[in-house]
Amino acid sequence: MYWERRRRRSIFEIIDEYLEELERASREFMGALLSGRPSWDTSERCLEPLTNMHITPDEVVVTVDLPMVKPETIKVRALSDNVLEVSAEMKRTVYFREFGVTHHSGEFCGFKSKTRIPVPVDMRNLTTKFVRGILEIHIPRKAKAGVRIPVE
Amino acid sequence: MPELVRIVERGSVPPGGVLLAGLPDVGLVGVIATTHIISSLGMEEVAYIDSNLLPPIAVLHDGLPHSPLRIFHKDGILAVLSETAIPASAVQPISQSIVDWCKGKEVKMVVSLGGLPTPNRQNIEEVKVFGAASNDEALKALREGSVEILERGFMVGPYALILRYCAEKGINAIALLAQSFFEYPDPEAAAAVVSKVTEMLNLEVDVTELLKKGEEIRLRARDVMRRTQQELARMSKSQEYDLPLYV
Repeated sequence: MYWERRRRRSIFEIIDEYLEELERASREFMGALLSGRPSWDTSERCLEPLTNMHITPDEVVVTVDLPMVKPETIKVRALSDNVLEVSAEMKRTVYFREFGVTHHSGEFCGFKSKTRIPVPVDMRNLTTKFVRGILEIHIPRKAKAGVRIPVE
Repeated sequence: MPELVRIVERGSVPPGGVLLAGLPDVGLVGVIATTHIISSLGMEEVAYIDSNLLPPIAVLHDGLPHSPLRIFHKDGILAVLSETAIPASAVQPISQSIVDWCKGKEVKMVVSLGGLPTPNRQNIEEVKVFGAASNDEALKALREGSVEILERGFMVGPYALILRYCAEKGINAIALLAQSFFEYPDPEAAAAVVSKVTEMLNLEVDVTELLKKGEEIRLRARDVMRRTQQELARMSKSQEYDLPLYV
């Protein structure tokens, strides 16, 4: 007869497992958000651009990949305190068949995206630059009244 | 234990070739570069990779189903290409199977084509190609090709494992990595690795068209890039930015 002694798990192992589970759930949630809908909208005739966000202690940097756009048509609008809309017209109309797709019909003449900023920012003082087809938006974070702690 | 990955040959694969790897990674550099090489050289599909670790996907070409992960061949040059993001959990067994298959086919060199994520990529006019290798002989090949060696740091993803497994199996392997965007398709970086690999292997592939179509490629690559980004996050790809412990 074999006896297997079941080891008691430490509280740290239980916490680690819980955190891993939480991380997995959040990744799945993000994945579902990203993959559940198409990256195009035939009713608005626009494509959703690739977008990324980096948060630093001083600012939020949003970048948007905008290939084939007319730079002078790029618009950046703050829809609210924490939602940023970017839109741009393309140099020419793009059709589904150019992607080799024949089971959808429609055309696209621009890009549009909305990005929710997860930390308080000052939308009135955002700055933008467009280099190599990528739009970079710098939004200063709202400063909190800090307390200086003396270092001994 | 059931087989996790199988490589099914559909045509004859001559031994002793060179294998190019174009797998989804930062900037989709390898995928864009390898697709361009396959179409420029007129390479044909000789094998495909199947695995129950991959999502249940068929890629339709001219109405017919194909595996998203295929191997092409022409005149001793082989190329493995993935048309969809590889799930982070499948990267290890797939990399292992590709290397085992290369050993069986007596592949004399594996060349992974990819990107090296570079934070200030937007400000770089002329993209530089760096290299890493599986052994001293492969390192020598990089030096002879005037490729700057990645002396220290981290590599994350399929190319990292392909290099390690090739080292283990005694296969010469190099990775040619061009400075690239992390999260956006980068045809310019792809053109840089195509130029370097074709120069090293004495192949004739023109990159003018690739550069000319750059913006259209970026437009078409959005969805594959989006899914690749998710997998790169799952495999902690940003660790490539980390500074190694150096005492």
